[in-house]
Amino acid sequence: MIVEGNFPEPLLDPLPITMGVIYPPAFAQHEFFDEAKGRADSDWLVKTGEAQVAFWDILLGGLFQEVVHIDSWETVQSEGDRIDGVLIPSIAELQYTVPTHTNVKIYEIWMRYEFRLADIAAIHQQDDGALSFKPDDRLAQWPITAYGKTPTAFLQSDEEAVNLAAVVALRDAGAHFITTFGRTPEVAAWLDGLSPRKASGETVSNEPASAISNPTAGAASETAESSELGDAR
Amino acid sequence: MNRPRSDRSDRLGVASHWLTLILAALVLGGCVNATVDEMTYNEPTAGIGESSVVILGRRHAPDYDTEFDFIECIGDHIHSGDPSIEVLNELAFINELYPWFEPRTAPMQPRAIDQLLQLPPVAQRFTEMKLEYMIWIDGNTVDTESTGSMSCGIGPGFAGCFGFGTWGTESEYEATIWDFTDKVEVGRVSAATSGQSYMPAVIVPIPIIAPVQGTACDSLGDQLLEYLSAHH
Repeated sequence: MIVEGNFPEPLLDPLPITMGVIYPPAFAQHEFFDEAKGRADSDWLVKTGEAQVAFWDILLGGLFQEVVHIDSWETVQSEGDRIDGVLIPSIAELQYTVPTHTNVKIYEIWMRYEFRLADIAAIHQQDDGALSFKPDDRLAQWPITAYGKTPTAFLQSDEEAVNLAAVVALRDAGAHFITTFGRTPEVAAWLDGLSPRKASGETVSNEPASAISNPTAGAASETAESSELGDAR
Repeated sequence: MNRPRSDRSDRLGVASHWLTLILAALVLGGCVNATVDEMTYNEPTAGIGESSVVILGRRHAPDYDTEFDFIECIGDHIHSGDPSIEVLNELAFINELYPWFEPRTAPMQPRAIDQLLQLPPVAQRFTEMKLEYMIWIDGNTVDTESTGSMSCGIGPGFAGCFGFGTWGTESEYEATIWDFTDKVEVGRVSAATSGQSYMPAVIVPIPIIAPVQGTACDSLGDQLLEYLSAHH
């Protein structure tokens, strides 16, 4: 099944930042496969990649004044001067349950993202033309967890329910990202450092991240070792 | 010679047994017990004028979600009881204010609204909505114990079911009313309902469903309508 959904634009004043975004292939084409464990089970292949890109495009487009998709070395060269930072998302872990697994009448999806923030200078071109990034050159790295659930419903198929749970998880990821972005210490330091570079009194505000009291913001303190970032196209 | 009569008599006995069960189910079915509690303050005696109301479901608990269709039912109940009350669509409201009313970020206390209003686009959207009351509904409907059995078969020129099943359903909801202007809680209304449903089947299953969730919707809706409307 392919996850599909309509995603809302975030309601906030965008940060005056031009953010480059690299969606690695493993992210843009993300899918997970779960092999049937018994006769009563069925194989699951859930493709979330398209929905991931569609969702984060809308979310980041609302959070930052301008978003530049970095998909080639030419883009790095031509747009590099005006890009304040480069955001590189990845999906580190995904778990799901359906009622046949748990005997609970709820479909669930849980995801853990790893976000990396880097300076445009940290992006390099490999011999094969693909973009690469040295993990040590990152400005910040932080995890974002997301959870989506949907209860069983009359005349609702497993596929529809898992799709809905995935959409809820994506929305939750966006909410988590927005409410913790400016609170992540390394990101906050980067935002502070950007302020003097902004011309004519334009200020970098982390208001969306700090204005709302979020009881679950502590989730951002989870630590996770990142895997190496592969090619970035 | 008597055997055919005896078979017929047995069949009549079984049929009469099932007829009794069906009649009993028809008599008992649809019965719902409801308990409603209400504690409200600062009732808008003149109604809410041109202001609007939004009814939102709580969905942060790990094991249940307040159903979207239940929220819609209450909204429809209030609007049909007093068409002058504008009830905002829940999903449209949540989408328009994304991400501030997601399960992770939704305000749990009225004072959290002040923090939301520090965000200029959010404050502007609320102003445009003319929001006067925010009503949070927390709860759900579950099926409880079930008993009985039913078997269905299909053959050349015949198909049908035979058996009897029964199950219980319980609803428990609490509505918390926030005055959006003063940022205070101005009331709580709760409704607990339960009922028993039956499904007798002699060839054709006949579901006799107790309207447990519908009764909870009507009960809460009536109380909220009484609070919000100048005409009730």
